[in-house]
Amino acid sequence: MIQDHEEKTLLQKFADHIDWVMILALFYLIGTGLITIFSATLHSGHPEKFMVTQTAAIAIGVAGMIFLTGFNYQYFRQMLPYIYIISLVVMVTVLVGGSTVRGTKGWFHLGYFSFQPVEVVKLLYILVIAGFLDSRWRDTKKFSVFAAGLALLGGHVLLILMQPDFGSTLSYFPVTLVLMFVAGVEPLYIGGAIIMGGIAVGIPLLTTFFRLQPDLLILHPRLQYLVSAVGNLKHASIILGSITAFLFTACWFLRQLKINVSWLLPLLLTGIIVAGSYSSLVVEHSLKEYQRKRLIVFLNPEIDALGSGYNIIQSKIAIGSGKIFGKGLFSGTQSQLGFLPEQHTDFIFAVHGEEGGYLWAQMTIIFYFLLVWRAMLIARESRDRYGSLVATGLATMFAFYAVINIGMVMGLMPATGLPLPFLSYGGSSMVGSLWGIGLLLSIHIRRFTH
Amino acid sequence: MVWQQENRLNYEDFLQRHQLMTLLFAALFLVLSLRLFHLQVIRGNYYRNQSEQQRTHIVVERAARGLIYDCRGDMMVRNKTGYVALFYPFAQGAASSKAIVEKLHAILKRDLGPAIIRGWRSGQAVRLANDLTRDEMFRLQEQRLVLPGISVVNESRRDYKLPEANAHLVGYLNEVTTDDLEDLEDEGYKSGDWIGRNGLEKQYDAVLRGQDGGWQIEVDALGHQTRMVKRLVPLMGSNVHTTIDLRLQQVAYEELLKSPTGRGAVVALDPRTGAVRALVSTPGFDPNRSFTHEFSQYLKGKDLPLFNRATQGLYAPGSTFKIITFSAAVNEDKINLAETFDCTGKFVLGNKTFACWLKTGHGPITLIPALINSCNVYFYQLGLRLGVGMLGKYARMYHLGEKTGIDLPSEKRGLVPDIEWKRKKMREGWQQGDTANMAIGQGYLWVTPLQMALTISAVANGGTFYKPYIVSSVSAEQGETISTTESTAIGSIELSEKTWRLLRGALEGVVKIGTGRGCAIANFPVAGKTGTAQNPHGNDHAWFVCYGPVADPALAIAVIVENGGHGGTAAVPIARRMFETYYEGTLSTATVAGVSRTQS
Repeated sequence: MIQDHEEKTLLQKFADHIDWVMILALFYLIGTGLITIFSATLHSGHPEKFMVTQTAAIAIGVAGMIFLTGFNYQYFRQMLPYIYIISLVVMVTVLVGGSTVRGTKGWFHLGYFSFQPVEVVKLLYILVIAGFLDSRWRDTKKFSVFAAGLALLGGHVLLILMQPDFGSTLSYFPVTLVLMFVAGVEPLYIGGAIIMGGIAVGIPLLTTFFRLQPDLLILHPRLQYLVSAVGNLKHASIILGSITAFLFTACWFLRQLKINVSWLLPLLLTGIIVAGSYSSLVVEHSLKEYQRKRLIVFLNPEIDALGSGYNIIQSKIAIGSGKIFGKGLFSGTQSQLGFLPEQHTDFIFAVHGEEGGYLWAQMTIIFYFLLVWRAMLIARESRDRYGSLVATGLATMFAFYAVINIGMVMGLMPATGLPLPFLSYGGSSMVGSLWGIGLLLSIHIRRFTH
Repeated sequence: MVWQQENRLNYEDFLQRHQLMTLLFAALFLVLSLRLFHLQVIRGNYYRNQSEQQRTHIVVERAARGLIYDCRGDMMVRNKTGYVALFYPFAQGAASSKAIVEKLHAILKRDLGPAIIRGWRSGQAVRLANDLTRDEMFRLQEQRLVLPGISVVNESRRDYKLPEANAHLVGYLNEVTTDDLEDLEDEGYKSGDWIGRNGLEKQYDAVLRGQDGGWQIEVDALGHQTRMVKRLVPLMGSNVHTTIDLRLQQVAYEELLKSPTGRGAVVALDPRTGAVRALVSTPGFDPNRSFTHEFSQYLKGKDLPLFNRATQGLYAPGSTFKIITFSAAVNEDKINLAETFDCTGKFVLGNKTFACWLKTGHGPITLIPALINSCNVYFYQLGLRLGVGMLGKYARMYHLGEKTGIDLPSEKRGLVPDIEWKRKKMREGWQQGDTANMAIGQGYLWVTPLQMALTISAVANGGTFYKPYIVSSVSAEQGETISTTESTAIGSIELSEKTWRLLRGALEGVVKIGTGRGCAIANFPVAGKTGTAQNPHGNDHAWFVCYGPVADPALAIAVIVENGGHGGTAAVPIARRMFETYYEGTLSTATVAGVSRTQS
């Protein structure tokens, strides 16, 4: 047995330990992506240009992926402060010397191609936050660890928001919270953060949504009252007061039922709700009306059918009209006639769904899940906690990218402008995603080594 | 698998939470799958119908902008027909759009540049060329069959009359930028629209721009155009009627160009109402060329041709400010008319020497001759007697240091300095010398030509400040009036009868026997004050502010020639030509309209 092991060449060992299921999923997704991009760029007259660029990005990505697979990820663990500083420096550099594409100062122009550094920087962030949680694993229950993690997150998110690139910050929140959760941070803190964030963002968006539908407000005067609470201290305090009263009554009731709930819990929740409502004012002021519209219109695109709702309506029609078998490659009317916006980048899944139909699109979702599931498996089997956390972070990133993008295209999520990894046209996203896979393979291949 | 064994408890805790997350991810992907199933399988037929019905494209047809008239109803800005080539990429199936652009280049014998590729992806009609000549239009029409998908449509474009003279007054157009759109999306602007920049085009953009129309075109399943469904007729913008007198405008422009440097500004107001009769800044530019490459040359021009000197240029008022020093001294009874100061050509204050423009000196001189001959030494001493507080108070009473409220964008407010201001800005105390300088309109005073025109028109009408206005009314395309502007007083200055009498008398003297002699016109008595403002950028700026006719002032003018030297030689002739033109105008109107009455 031992002899047998020694006889194997390095390449054979590599082949034995590599995650072939992951590679298969990768092949499927990239292949599907290339075909769909070709179709989506046909009417531009020169789809081959897009193919060449995308293939070049795949080549760079795969080269980096192979290198990272061979590189021992544990070295990253020893260089955390440097990695974090480098990531911040890169993002400050792009803010100072980067170029602006569609209103976002987040690109480097390097001769023939341009690059969006945030797509790689977010990998560095995962390496750092995972390393931080690993190094403090005995104290993860402490509030200070939770707060320090949020501070690390804040550094990146603030710099990205200054570009401003709202969409790219979105994957940071689930990655951080999920990593904190699996690392053992008190779920109460995480839940509190989610509730607070939800309230802070939810209030301005929902009021915008209701304001867009005056009929609804006339039909339901109580809604009118709720909406008026924004900017009316009296109404707001009445509503907050009744929520607090309800929470305490519920707590009292539960204790009567001999379910042990601390009195601190309703107090804490009240505090969180008040803090959330207060920070909603900040969100309200920092988002312009049209941005809020764009974020909320997915709930009912018809209220702004020719404006911010247009993209969602068109992409739902595109997907839905594909039916079970699709309209056939290169024959989607929605995509070929130009009804779909951004069809080779953010809305690529709509083209795929229209031309490939339910059978193919469902298969793509399954392969996506396969990729995420393999990443979670790698997290389970990693030889050290650091590897487990990095793998979990990457799995979360891929999962949420897919959910946010495909959800947006199908009208389940707000339109935020995130690419679909491996499928969307775009070199930076492709390179960043492939390097992420490189990290996963590096963790996987070393699962037995000591 | 190492930590799994080394730290069993910790690993198990991790595993539990990790499994929960895996479940969460599975649930999320399940939701996506269910939604996909819902859209494609359950609602598939509905959406397939929708996609088949969705066959109409919209091609925007730009609305003509409103016209701009002068006070006589002469056209200042009109529209002319232009030709635009449009291309529907979806009528082409997939490929060949590039080939068609190349054919187009060959027919037009010119390269339309990379701009035409812009907006290609959007799949809507693409604007290939904005500015086809008639000739090119015919050539394209002949070759229609070679060029499927291309059509030529009429589109009105701007035609500016007296473009260089009216440039700053009227402004120009160009395409909205993405930055504009962020702020203006709610007001109905869309990408590709034109928007007014500067002048009336900007100030009255909402009135002038009208409402775009368009055609709805039906395409079949392969994207070929089948028929036009309906045409939304574009609504022309409203017409704007101004108080501007094009003849004065033209004379002012030509005379300014003939001045020593060709740089300067003229503002003419009707002192009875505040109506702006002329507003010119030179060098001008040609707004007709705003869509061409040459236009960027204006941005680089050393003479700042895009800069509206009349409302944004800040200058020291120089001796024209003596009007204000004079008003303060007489109104506050700080001076006896017979009192003399001795002008030796210079005035020593502490360790500094202040010069008079007449090096030999005016000798012993009293107030009225001092204003008529613009004696600096006299006014230094008068200023010191009044003090900075009093000078500042009267300057502000004359509405200096604040915007006039004219209906043009980006007006400058200028500056009336005081002790507090100097301490804050320069971090040093106010000197006696500063007061002396201020009394003759030098130092830290900053005024625009428009402000000086407002000042002199208040002198002309006995102390009322009317808000300067250019647009007198707005009318619809068919002619009915939509709104009119009333003359509004924004304030007044109360001076004693004696002050007005002496001031006006002295200003008449300036033109009769003083520095403004160049403006003495037979049958049309004028009063005014010259100024020669020193400045650190070279030769003195030449000023002249004036009004006429003296008995019933109908025109108040402020002229500045940058680095023009003496007001009396550089600025006065410009005003003279304007008064003459105005006078000829009234004569000819009288002959046309009033003659029969006078003669009968």
